[in-house]
Amino acid sequence: MKWRKHLDWLLTHLTLVIVCFIFFFPVLWLTLASFSATGSIYDLGGFFPKSFSLAGFRKLFGDTTMYDYPNWLKNTLFVAVGSSVLGTILVILTAYTISRFQFKARKTLMKSTLVLSMFPSFMGMTAVYLLMVNFGLINRLWALILIYASGAPMGYLVQKGYFDSLSSSVFEAARLDGASSFRVFRSIALPLSKPIIVYTALTQFAWPWSDFILPNLLLKNKDKWTVAVGLMHLDETQFTRFAAGSIFIAVPIVILYFCLSGFLVTGVTAGAAKE
Amino acid sequence: MGNSLFVSALKSRSPRVRASLCVMGLGQLLSRQWVKGLAYLSALAAFVAYMALTGARDIVGFFTLGTVEADPWLGVAGDDSIIMLLRGLLCYVIILAVVALYRSNLRDIMEIEHNGAWGGNAPGFISSVKGYMDRKFYIVALALPVAGVLVFNVIPIVFMILISFTNYGGDIVPPKLVDWTGFDSFRRVLSLSGIKETFFRILGWNVVWALLSTAINYFGGLALALLLNKKCVKRKKFWRMFPILAYAVPGFITLLAFKFLFSYGGPINHYITEAGHSAVGFLDIDAGIKARIIGLGVNAWISIPTSMLLATGILSNMNMNLYEAASIDGAGPWQQFKKITLPFVVFSTTPVLITNFIGNFNNFGIFYFLRGGLYMDGYFLASDTDLLINWLYNLSIDNNYYSIGAAVSLIIFIITSAVSLSVYIRSNAYRKEDTFR
Repeated sequence: MKWRKHLDWLLTHLTLVIVCFIFFFPVLWLTLASFSATGSIYDLGGFFPKSFSLAGFRKLFGDTTMYDYPNWLKNTLFVAVGSSVLGTILVILTAYTISRFQFKARKTLMKSTLVLSMFPSFMGMTAVYLLMVNFGLINRLWALILIYASGAPMGYLVQKGYFDSLSSSVFEAARLDGASSFRVFRSIALPLSKPIIVYTALTQFAWPWSDFILPNLLLKNKDKWTVAVGLMHLDETQFTRFAAGSIFIAVPIVILYFCLSGFLVTGVTAGAAKE
Repeated sequence: MGNSLFVSALKSRSPRVRASLCVMGLGQLLSRQWVKGLAYLSALAAFVAYMALTGARDIVGFFTLGTVEADPWLGVAGDDSIIMLLRGLLCYVIILAVVALYRSNLRDIMEIEHNGAWGGNAPGFISSVKGYMDRKFYIVALALPVAGVLVFNVIPIVFMILISFTNYGGDIVPPKLVDWTGFDSFRRVLSLSGIKETFFRILGWNVVWALLSTAINYFGGLALALLLNKKCVKRKKFWRMFPILAYAVPGFITLLAFKFLFSYGGPINHYITEAGHSAVGFLDIDAGIKARIIGLGVNAWISIPTSMLLATGILSNMNMNLYEAASIDGAGPWQQFKKITLPFVVFSTTPVLITNFIGNFNNFGIFYFLRGGLYMDGYFLASDTDLLINWLYNLSIDNNYYSIGAAVSLIIFIITSAVSLSVYIRSNAYRKEDTFR
């Protein structure tokens, strides 16, 4: 029986190594390519550059006449922070209310969000695009913030799951002591929900940070582009610039995710079990 | 529900209720609730003024969608059908809001009457607002989110549904006049030669894609989680790092990177040419099945980490005694997986499975990035990897076929909601929503 155990160990670890290699390789490739001394993908000669330099990054921030990366970054940051703040407030309010209160329209609201989420996201987006064109609201960054933030409450289920899991006795005790609903929310619910607020803020930040559909539709002027739109416009000859630009915006997000990887598991699971 | 409020207001003999029944806010004024009464009254006045000034015309315009076509030679400004449609829609929304306000006015006056608070001993405006905020906290808290969803989700969707019943798009864009054409757009999608073939071809591939990719991602994630859960695997955190890394990289970067990887100048083709073969157009117009397989693979790369995290979470909630009992009974690992793990995991993830299926059915990014904008022979403005959602984009954003695009969106909606509804009805997870609490 001992050899079977060894074989099992070997096979398991072999599979793990292969799988992890598959996940790691593209990331490694892009990272190393961003330090390539040459700019075009044709000069790369295989997966990995022959000589390394920081030229890609220097060009990214220095040579901004054609591709103004620092400006894209500024726009992206503005949109992402704005939607994160506004979106988190709206989601937390929605989730808390739907979880804690029983009222007539509750089931109706829950069912309508379910039905609304069945519509292909593009349908609303085409309409938003048409409306924005008709009202001349194209090329406005704050319009993006409004759209992202007001769509956010539709994804309230994870947060509702969290509030469902809080014991209701604290809330009832506070009500008995005469605290108003607002007071209960501010002084009891909010302090208890720090983890879920962090999780929400992160997801609400990451979505605009990496979305390309909406900015691509609504931001036509080059000076309003976000990083996603800008990077989409880089072709094969600008490969190093693309790699450098990608690495630069991926690194903060990756670090953030790793710091919060504990939250991620609970977040994803809470959404699943408490649907 | 709404009727019983109205009926009981009608039955009331109180002059104040009758006053509020006729003119919103009048009863409140008679009960000396000045601020509230004036607020209702001025809302009514504003509504009447709006209807007289533009509202009535907007409603008519909603039905005609314009009668005067612009003529630059004669200097005629003409009607803008889309603006008229929107203004009509806005007018309906305002009417609905006023009806809701009117009902709240009835409810309010009945309450005043019920409490006998009409003799001037009613609570003041400020304190009644405070009381309202406390009792109806949920309304106050939900007002902003609901308003946002209404403006940026519901109204656009309603607008698109309306568009699907017009002939808007193609040659017919303002200044030309748009007309209501009933189900014509749907008929064109489902029967006009050229469009019909494209639709059914794409639909077939779309269903295959959604089933395959959901299955691959789900079972891939589950397998990975089980693998990492094995007792003999030490340093789980280290191994888990790699999929989480893939999960954390923004999707569009992954997709663009894969596009570069498989491009003509990309490293894979570099090695192929170096070995003496000619470069392969993995994602070219004639790539055929290769492009589809690459799409499935790339989607798996992006999605398996998420489903792994999910499966890990679910597995950690499992009751381990079951396994001990099973192995005492002599069940092998495969039996244990089939009889214990799989039912448990599938049961607790049914909702997620549906969400994933719909997400994959409408997965826009993969083929938009890998080979967007290709138009193939035998397809109307699409290619053989395009999903309905990509076709929708080509139709409505790139080529202005708005009404046909809207009709396609509604067909997508019908398909996805039918699928999820039937799964929801069957799954126990839905019925037990409240037992979890």
